[in-house]
Amino acid sequence: MPNVSTALSRPTPLPRRGLERLDLMLLCAEALDLNGGEAMVWMSEQLGYQSLFPNRVELWKRRCHNPLRRATRRGQLQVEDTDALIRILTAMAERLYPMLRQLLSAAEPESVSEQRWALFRGRLQELIEERLNLRRVGVRKLLDPLEGPQLCHQLILSLALSAGSGGVERLKASLLDPEP
Amino acid sequence: MIKLSHRYEQISCRLTVEGFPDVSTGQGSQAIGILTGWSLALAGHTELEGKREHLEALLRVVAPYARHLISGAPRVFGDPDSPVAMHPDGPRHRLELRSSQPHTPPLTLHLDDAELADLVRCLDQLVLDARLQLNLQTPRPQPLRRSELRKRVPLGRRIAAPICGMAALGLAGAVSWMVPTPKPGSFSPAQAKGPSSLVDPGKTAAPRKSTAPGKTASPGKSGAPGQIGATGLAAPNRAGEAPTPGAQTQSNQGAGTRTGPSQAPR
Repeated sequence: MPNVSTALSRPTPLPRRGLERLDLMLLCAEALDLNGGEAMVWMSEQLGYQSLFPNRVELWKRRCHNPLRRATRRGQLQVEDTDALIRILTAMAERLYPMLRQLLSAAEPESVSEQRWALFRGRLQELIEERLNLRRVGVRKLLDPLEGPQLCHQLILSLALSAGSGGVERLKASLLDPEP
Repeated sequence: MIKLSHRYEQISCRLTVEGFPDVSTGQGSQAIGILTGWSLALAGHTELEGKREHLEALLRVVAPYARHLISGAPRVFGDPDSPVAMHPDGPRHRLELRSSQPHTPPLTLHLDDAELADLVRCLDQLVLDARLQLNLQTPRPQPLRRSELRKRVPLGRRIAAPICGMAALGLAGAVSWMVPTPKPGSFSPAQAKGPSSLVDPGKTAAPRKSTAPGKTASPGKSGAPGQIGATGLAAPNRAGEAPTPGAQTQSNQGAGTRTGPSQAPR
């Protein structure tokens, strides 16, 4: 197990579970934003990651290191790549924060909230069926009618708490969590 | 000197800090180096006010709480004597503010996920604001320990593997205990005769010659003393049976009468 106190002070590659969560959260951002794929490329340019991700194919190739993907890539992702993906995700979460807040708010009418969640889960399910390996247990849990909503809520809450510049370190620390 | 005020706002939360620049350390006119007070207004709740130590206590509690919540492992933050504490409370989050005045009950606020996210974002803005030069002591987010993450796995799933392992071990032990142990004197005469017929130097010498030709005698000297002794001992094993006392005695006798291991070719 890596030394917890120094895990963030030195560059540490994300473990397998961290890569899975990072890609799932990016997938959630795409489910919230219909034009999420384009927004991700645009955000990458805005943050100055053109050398790392010169085009959308390079971005897609980095995301394919997620072991849950249908077409997964072997090998470990470089720390610079994961840092860039984390920054892109937190910037997208900041942009989508009003939607995230609406989903999480208990002050919203219950029927409206349920419709919003159903819409989000429907879009996420489509993306999952299109891109992820449905034979994996982690993917099947996301699509499970009992376990899926709870996992979706956890992903949205994580996105909301990691939105903005202040969330970068928090999210990175969370992705570096060891296997329980 | 004009009192400065900075405000950080989200939909349900507004945090205001007031203070003066610390001119003695050369701070600019827009920086706050001396905090005189702060106030936190949460929609639908009482407005909170406090001093620097209360703000630091709020940061020390809310930031790690949010960090644990991202990992799906919420837990209580804040000591009993701390001015601020945060508890997970079902789908909500309970923020407790304890007054320094004696006999004053703590103020409890119940926040939903959205309100907590607003509060966290306000505090993030405050910490990252370059105009605030207060050197606030905020804990840096760290990966959680394995023991902290273990709680998010249900107890049934956590203990299923050790229980199955112990059950399998017990079952294997019970089955092995039920199998009868063979007694030493229960060999049939047929078994005892079988290996003795294999003690034939002419037949058993062939495999030894082929496996280690350099060490054994030449093919023409198949009746060499050491070879006979070796084949005599190896014969029962080749038949795939345990050496019976009779057969072993016979082969040992053969080895002993003709030649011993010390007379093997060098």
